[in-house]
Amino acid sequence: MALLEVKNLTVEFGSEDKPFRAVDSVSYSVDRGEVLGIVGESGSGKSVSSLAIMGLIDFPGRVTADSLTFDGQDLLTMAPSKRRAITGKDIAMIFQDPMSALNPCFTVEAQIMEALKVHEGGSKKQRRERTLDLINQVGIPDPKSRMTAYPHQLSGGMSQRVVIAMAIACQPRLLIADEPTTALDVTIQAQIIDLLLKLQEDSDMGLLLITHDLALVSEAANRIQVMYAGQLFESGPADSIFTAPRHPYTQALLEALPERSVGRDRLSTIPGVVPGQYDRPKGCLLAPRCRYANDHCVASQPEVTDFNGRDVRCFYPLDDQGLPTGQTNSQNVGETV
Amino acid sequence: MSFLDSKPGVPLLESDDLVRHYEVNRGLGKPNATVKALDGVSFTLESKKTLAVVGESGCGKSTLGRQLTLIEKPSAGQLKINGDAVGDLSDKDAKMFRRTVQMIFQNPYGSLNPRKKVGQILGEPVLLNMDHLGRKEREERVRDTMAKVGLRPEFYNRYPHMFSGGQRQRISIARALILEPKVIVADEPVSALDVSVQAQVLNLMMDLQEEMNVAYVFISHDLSVVRHIADDVMVMYLGRVAEKGPTEEIFAKPLHPYTRALLASAPKIDPTHRVKSEPLTGELPSPINPPSGCAFHKRCPFATEECAKVRPELRMFEGREVACHRVEEIA
Repeated sequence: MALLEVKNLTVEFGSEDKPFRAVDSVSYSVDRGEVLGIVGESGSGKSVSSLAIMGLIDFPGRVTADSLTFDGQDLLTMAPSKRRAITGKDIAMIFQDPMSALNPCFTVEAQIMEALKVHEGGSKKQRRERTLDLINQVGIPDPKSRMTAYPHQLSGGMSQRVVIAMAIACQPRLLIADEPTTALDVTIQAQIIDLLLKLQEDSDMGLLLITHDLALVSEAANRIQVMYAGQLFESGPADSIFTAPRHPYTQALLEALPERSVGRDRLSTIPGVVPGQYDRPKGCLLAPRCRYANDHCVASQPEVTDFNGRDVRCFYPLDDQGLPTGQTNSQNVGETV
Repeated sequence: MSFLDSKPGVPLLESDDLVRHYEVNRGLGKPNATVKALDGVSFTLESKKTLAVVGESGCGKSTLGRQLTLIEKPSAGQLKINGDAVGDLSDKDAKMFRRTVQMIFQNPYGSLNPRKKVGQILGEPVLLNMDHLGRKEREERVRDTMAKVGLRPEFYNRYPHMFSGGQRQRISIARALILEPKVIVADEPVSALDVSVQAQVLNLMMDLQEEMNVAYVFISHDLSVVRHIADDVMVMYLGRVAEKGPTEEIFAKPLHPYTRALLASAPKIDPTHRVKSEPLTGELPSPINPPSGCAFHKRCPFATEECAKVRPELRMFEGREVACHRVEEIA
């Protein structure tokens, strides 16, 4: 059984009769020792879905799911106190901006010890020792003197290491990393990702890596999910999803990367923007931006279906040549944007 | 002859040993420290070309942008436009210079006044710098520029909050372009944007370069973007230039160990392009107290005793400028 099992997770905001779905029936699972990457542009619902798992969606947001189980226990139906004991201990999270994730009023030591106190207890001396261990483990040089440092005295990379230390303090079985390196430089990003993957391997953790960086996720993850406007568009193994994309969105996203158009004059683009709260199309959410879209796509919404071992939400998933399959109304095919 | 006229054989913009130091108060009774944010940077920029400035945060690339646009005065060194020193310009000419060198800022959410409509935001520079234009002509000019950057004319009366990030960045670009500058300093213009929108904005910038003959100083940390848009690349480390040369050569064969590390650290989507290398250890040292000798020596896998003692100067090697003692052996 998978460590985390999410079935048809939906997060809604706004009024009951006309809700805005930030996350729309997303299903996935993370196993022990597995790295699942979730990629998407801003507004795709990738962060909101992870906040929902952590139970951090407050009123007026509404979280519903067919099931949201962690290690066999349903997180949505269990008592709040029981859920609180799990989140932060067995499920931990790393936030995007390390500078604002740390409390500027307390030392590094105090903040890590707080996490330990809540979940593990023990004497102050034990907690302090464990904190020193943790700071050592995440590769902060000169750990003894850094224990008493305040967040403003640390660089971005060091702050993120502290946040990681805090997250792994209670030896979580699932770690959710929401854009853990977006605020960092490339050389530091490489260090932090290496650290995360090492910790993940050492303790056989499940890691949910949320990012907008396609290259980063393709290097780090075992499986990848592509999200768009709150929906899951494609999911599959990391080594094939970006070499043979089945969904037109994945294909277009890859083509828009500068590194895919070396030697070419102009980058290929996806016209338009991710639809927001008020301009969601009726049919397929990508239809206004998709180069293969036809009347059928505009009129009705596709479901997630299995296509050659990949989950794809498209009426006409792409074949190995990158052309849509099963399209009878072919007037739009090959029309470049 | 005005400094705005290009002269044959003279580069459009030339920076000669540009230095910018900041004084930092360290507290009562302690002497002030000096942050060497920019410590002797030289380059030339030709018309219609793009020079990319890359490096980690804290390397001085944004400080460089602020000197080039005269937002700040350099502590030492000279900035020349068409061969004339900018520091010697009269106040009137300095205003003219500011018109010629415009800037696009990183964050499209912070760089537009939320209380002004697009028409006002774009009209203001025209009002201040082209006072011979009447109200009608000014509005005409704003609408023309909006069309150029792909903004619909009905956006004229809208406020910035009504736009997406990509559209806001188009407004920023329009604001920089409206005075027909010769140089645009773009400080991380696409780093706040999504991949699909980033491609739109980059294409727009390249189209405008062809159409309006503008030169870009493109400050960025994203190497794949730089590779696509730039003619020349300048890699900076702690306020100094580590390596400088034509883009393709630098990407094909980086010479400076820091350039190599930067290229190796960037994740690659194509598995065949991945190089397994040891990630760079440590972080950018503090510019208040930079290491002796080569500023990079503490993180450099090739460092020797000489590197810790003697600061390497930029020198020509294989058609590029590199600041490394051991470049011959490494290459």
